[in-house]
Amino acid sequence: MSSSDKPTPWYLATPVHGILLVGAIFFVLPLLWMIATSFKPLEQTLKVPESITEALVGVGHRAEIDGRVYEVVLERQIMPSADDPYWIVRPLEEFPAGEMTHPFGPETWRKYPIFNQEELQRMEAIVTSRMKVLADRINPYDDENGILRLQSGREVKAELVKALQSVDGGEQLWLVREWRSEDTDTKEVGSTSADITRAWAVLPESGIRRSIRTIPQNYPAALRRVNFVRSFLNTMFVCVMTVVGVLISSLIVAYGFAFIDFRGRESLFKMTLATMMIPFPIVMVPTYLLYRKLGWVGTFKPLWVWSWFGSAFFIFLLRQFLLGLPKDLLDAARIDGCSELEILWHVVVPLTKAPLAMVALFQFLGSWKDFMGPLIYLNNSSQFTLSLSLQSFSSEHGGTPWHLLMAASTVFSLPLIILFFFTIRTFIRSMSTTGLKE
Amino acid sequence: MKRSTHLTLTGYAFIAPWLAAMVFLIGYPFAASLYFSTCEYPPLRGPLFIGAGNYQELAHDAVFRGSMLITIIFAVVAIPLGVVLALTLALFLNSRIRGRSIYRVVYYLPHLVPSVAVAILWMWMFNPQFGILNVLLSPFGKIISLLFRPFAAITLGVPAWLGLILVAITFALWRWLKRLSSPLFQSEVRGDSLKPGKLWNLNQWSEGRRVLASRLSGALFAAAMLFALALWLSPSDIMKVQSPGWLTDSNPFPSMLSVAPSWALWALIYMSLWGVGQMAIIYLAKLQDVPVSLYEVADLDGANWWQKTRYITIPMISPVILFNVVMGIIGAFQVFTEPYIMTSGGPEDRTRFIAMFIYDQAFQYQRLGYGSAVAWVLFLVIVGLTLLALRISRDRVYYAAR
Repeated sequence: MSSSDKPTPWYLATPVHGILLVGAIFFVLPLLWMIATSFKPLEQTLKVPESITEALVGVGHRAEIDGRVYEVVLERQIMPSADDPYWIVRPLEEFPAGEMTHPFGPETWRKYPIFNQEELQRMEAIVTSRMKVLADRINPYDDENGILRLQSGREVKAELVKALQSVDGGEQLWLVREWRSEDTDTKEVGSTSADITRAWAVLPESGIRRSIRTIPQNYPAALRRVNFVRSFLNTMFVCVMTVVGVLISSLIVAYGFAFIDFRGRESLFKMTLATMMIPFPIVMVPTYLLYRKLGWVGTFKPLWVWSWFGSAFFIFLLRQFLLGLPKDLLDAARIDGCSELEILWHVVVPLTKAPLAMVALFQFLGSWKDFMGPLIYLNNSSQFTLSLSLQSFSSEHGGTPWHLLMAASTVFSLPLIILFFFTIRTFIRSMSTTGLKE
Repeated sequence: MKRSTHLTLTGYAFIAPWLAAMVFLIGYPFAASLYFSTCEYPPLRGPLFIGAGNYQELAHDAVFRGSMLITIIFAVVAIPLGVVLALTLALFLNSRIRGRSIYRVVYYLPHLVPSVAVAILWMWMFNPQFGILNVLLSPFGKIISLLFRPFAAITLGVPAWLGLILVAITFALWRWLKRLSSPLFQSEVRGDSLKPGKLWNLNQWSEGRRVLASRLSGALFAAAMLFALALWLSPSDIMKVQSPGWLTDSNPFPSMLSVAPSWALWALIYMSLWGVGQMAIIYLAKLQDVPVSLYEVADLDGANWWQKTRYITIPMISPVILFNVVMGIIGAFQVFTEPYIMTSGGPEDRTRFIAMFIYDQAFQYQRLGYGSAVAWVLFLVIVGLTLLALRISRDRVYYAAR
């Protein structure tokens, strides 16, 4: 822990590793949880994980239905008894699915938001004679007459496939339904009438196997929901405009502060530093009114125009760096008859590449992450940046489709993390030279 | 003369954009905000001067006072925790062990996640039913409740102020003994003002005895702190530690201390600590600038690790710590995204940070004048707190001569 050059002996290094590892788990766990959730099926986000594996890995089930192995969802456990009998029947006439509480039984409605009666009625799904339905107490099957009494009061002819009147062998019975990858997007489900044609069965526990269920389809679903392409382009537009603006303006201003000896320079520079201490909420209202007067509210202009006038922090940063450049170089250029702008372009810029990269990186990060600016100034959803789209997706749903939210968040964070790994050197250098930002 | 005019002109030409920004994007809003704060400002009409009306209303606005208090509580709890955690991390990261660059990347990663994603991710972490935090916490919570339950039974009848008094007494005792046994004090006072026989003859104690006494009193102080904490904790708190409702729970923790952060605020504090890696990396950079010669001299004097950290490392990086504290204060008053997304100020306004209060007044209720008045009070509070931080730190921060 001292800064001497000796490597730490093992008896000290081991506990240090231990503490750092525990800390690292604390720091990485949320990210792991985010990525893990982004690959999970919806059902699993509505369930307390029973083990660490189940918390980090998507789990599903597989079962054989009518000779084919399906990915299935365990809808619910059923316990047939003399008071609570169940029948699997095949209707001989067609009828609208909405007339039954549910082709798989009544409880399903309440349990799964993805599958509700309203939606079935809206799409006017028809139960045909090719399907099987689960008859129960509420939609009982009359075996003697071969009649299924629907909840609506209508009676249809049906033939019995299997009667489940008691739990045999003591094994638990599960109602399972075929799972499809589009189930992952709550909006898509119910919009196709194919939903009620899915394979389903009542199976004993031994017929169901657990399986790992990773769902990459969460990603396209989530991206559709946050209107990704549009939001991404909006965000990139703001990022590029601010980065370019900040680079050009801050460098020019920093050059003025560093190398041109004009009256009032020191006091103006001090003022520049002082402006960094003003928190945004204080100037928020008048700034908003100013932009509104200019007619800029509802456009991207409030988000990037300021950057072309310079940014106090970057001016400060670049000036500090410029002051470290050899003055002789500038004087030589002046004697050769270069104008200040020429010196800036031909002498200073080539020497300032590293700090400029740093400024670009910081500003990119800042614009990419910005939330309050877009929230105040943008009001049309086609203009939303990624932050705003993600936030509105999350608030629309009161935060239930966690798997999609996590997928969208992952995609939103990923570019910065990739950028970080590509520019890790600039990052580390910027940390050690400035150590000031935020 | 000619040349200097030319230089001035060129200089101003170079900084012209920034001058314009300072005037129009900072100076004007800053001044206008002061003016608007004395106005009724219906959004579709112009400002109407009403004098101190907004400020009078503020004085009676319980929601405003609540949100100011919450912001300050957040700053008071989160900033010290963040500084201590970042410093500890930096000290560990500064050791020469294999793979430390990997650790650095890992600790830095959270800073790269955009705040909206952070907010949504932590809403999911804090989900009381299915969030992983409560899943992981429940075994620890059981241990904590096992440890505290017998304790709580003993302390049930004891008034809470007793704990504070005990803490104060043991603290005073500890500092006093420590000061008496410090070499500096010994050389200063021995011989003249301290005659043998005074102060229970403490200065006649042997060196070892004195050190032992100061350590014992330190332990006593720690025990008193724990005891006081246990007094604040009610049985319901201890039950709750196993699976708190986090963002949905407006009760303070510990529940007997009404100014303590609510569970929802604790959640936000906890979340803010996740981003502490950034600060740790800054400290780390500064740690590496501390001259090695100082440690070598300390080694010669036989200083141990703690002494080197306490008397060399921390003073040498104290300017950065001060800087972080000041920026932390300013930052606390700008916290917006997280409460806006995660709690929308609730439960029961327990996470309505002041920046969010201003946003609500200005943009939800269209009370632009009132919002400006809040903004100005906020500005004065920030200036005051910053000056306070600078004042407190004046004799405690070491600036190396340049």
